[in-house]
Amino acid sequence: MTARWLTLLFLLALASPAFADSAPSDAANSDDDDSSVIGVGNDSAGDDDDSAAGLEAPPGLMEAAAVAEGSMADVVKVPAPTELTVTAPKHNSGLNLDLSWTPHPDVEAARFTVARAESPDGPWEMRVEDLTPDITTYTDKVAEDPLNKGVRDQYYYRVLALPRGLRAQADEANLTKPADRFAFLDAHANSTPAIAGEPKGVWLNTSVGFLLMALIVLTVGGLMFWFTDRARKGKEVFIRRIPGIDAIEEGIGRATEMGKPVLYVPGIDELQDIQTIASVLILGEVSKKVAEYQSDIIVTCCIPLVREVADEVVKAGYYQAGYPDAYRSTNTRFISSEQFAFCAGTNGIILREKPATNIYLGRFFAESLILAETGFVNKSIQIAGTAEATQLPFFIAACDYTLIGEELFAVSAYLSGDPRLVSSLKASDWIKVFCVASIIVGTLAGSFGMDFVVQLFTAAGH
Amino acid sequence: MRTTIPLVITFVVGLIMLGEAFIPHWMYRIVTENILEWGVILAAAAFVLGLINLIQVNLPKVLAREPEWGYKLVMLVALVATLVVGFMGGGDRLSNGQAYKWVFDFVFVPLNATMFALLAFYIASAAFRAFRARNMEATVLLVAAVVVMIGRVPIGEQISERLPQIVNWLMEVPNTAARRAIFIGAALGAVATGLRIILGIERSHLGGD
Repeated sequence: MTARWLTLLFLLALASPAFADSAPSDAANSDDDDSSVIGVGNDSAGDDDDSAAGLEAPPGLMEAAAVAEGSMADVVKVPAPTELTVTAPKHNSGLNLDLSWTPHPDVEAARFTVARAESPDGPWEMRVEDLTPDITTYTDKVAEDPLNKGVRDQYYYRVLALPRGLRAQADEANLTKPADRFAFLDAHANSTPAIAGEPKGVWLNTSVGFLLMALIVLTVGGLMFWFTDRARKGKEVFIRRIPGIDAIEEGIGRATEMGKPVLYVPGIDELQDIQTIASVLILGEVSKKVAEYQSDIIVTCCIPLVREVADEVVKAGYYQAGYPDAYRSTNTRFISSEQFAFCAGTNGIILREKPATNIYLGRFFAESLILAETGFVNKSIQIAGTAEATQLPFFIAACDYTLIGEELFAVSAYLSGDPRLVSSLKASDWIKVFCVASIIVGTLAGSFGMDFVVQLFTAAGH
Repeated sequence: MRTTIPLVITFVVGLIMLGEAFIPHWMYRIVTENILEWGVILAAAAFVLGLINLIQVNLPKVLAREPEWGYKLVMLVALVATLVVGFMGGGDRLSNGQAYKWVFDFVFVPLNATMFALLAFYIASAAFRAFRARNMEATVLLVAAVVVMIGRVPIGEQISERLPQIVNWLMEVPNTAARRAIFIGAALGAVATGLRIILGIERSHLGGD
């Protein structure tokens, strides 16, 4: 009798809708790797095993998920990627971790999502949602504000393989909060197990490129001291004549004879640019010579901070020359921080105040030719210098003398005549000899099938 | 003392910033980022000084009715007007319908474009002078320029199929070689200039010894 009742109950249970619904779901769980169909209510044990524990749906998520329930049957789960590795990059700041994974070879995910947690139990934070299937690496910055919030020893990562249509479902469900959105995606996508990574910062970059850079800097510094020492001992340092620099003094003399000012433009870049710095150093020597010749100098600046420094440098030049009374602060002018407004203002000065000599030294862009052509119309002697290769042809075409590239950095030493400064030019000359020798050796070696020089410099570039 | 303190500051700060290239640790980066932030604050403060300088230079000339004082008056009026509409607009000054946005869109942008457009005419006049075959170098420049210009337009290929190839060779071999030579020289010059300042060998900006 009991057995008959039990049989009847078993048959009823088999026929019940609840059992009928759960059966394919179980099958789906067991077949996750074969891209089975999932449903919203399919809170599978398999998912929970893969994804980290502690992922409870936040309030409102189930309601939002219920909105998407109708079309969830269209979303087909795809297998999670494998071989997730989390490693600290070499020569790292200690704030980055490199993730790498292998997608399933047969089934392509629509998108990969990367999640991070501070413990394997969560809570999980979505770092990036929509990596395309061809992307299998990701570099995560572990801390935005490391000083105040600190950097943990370990971080945990998971990569989710989002099936097609899942993100659209999340959009339809209006899941805008990142936590809600991630919980929804996580509940309906396969994920790798949580893998730990340790961000390790290093204090010295020992890669080939940086070592070569350090070697060049140290060699230049060492040679500089060596040549300076030789100069102190009275050894003469030969430096070739540079017509463009010689012309600066001629130009200042011409301005004095004509009773017109000298116009000096230190480029249009910020003060931290090395060309602007070099130009400001040259301005010191030029203003000293202008003061000695009892002439006037007008300096036009595009950056207010450059004007302040240029003003101090001009003042120092006049003091050094012994004519502090001749210095006028209003001759060092801020025009505008806008490129073409500055250009228009400087052109106005060229046309109204008619300087006899225009000196353009520093970093220039499209305004270079407009300035130089206006100076040509004014019949000024024009001396230009820049390391900006794109502007050099314009200056060469429109100016009387042009200092090309490295010559700009030699002007200050050349004009001052200070043996210590002049001898420092020798240091960079010897490095140039090394560069030329490397190019010749590399070309010859490469021609005979030996690429060790190429490899060395290729490594240095990384 | 007047030069020693700036030299010490330059040396210490320069060395710290140089170290950034070789020390990647985030704790070190925080130090260098802070120094850079100080620089940004200084640069921002200098804009006030720039404004004062503009007024110092131009206002006395307007008041004294010096020659062409009208241009300076226009500049000063434009300066004040832009400042006023900028302050009036507040945080929304760049929204549609704001006076500041109108000034930007219908005064500043067209004037900027006008200045930039002048470049085309200046290129023509500079090229005319540069391409006169006065000596050997100018002749080489002229020939190379003509070949490159013709080779870059459709008619060049009609003249000879080899012309675009010659142009590519000119751009990729001699032109690239010259540019690289300039870059290498400039980079070494920049390193030497930086070291001269950091090590205190160059001190002309401080008024010399």
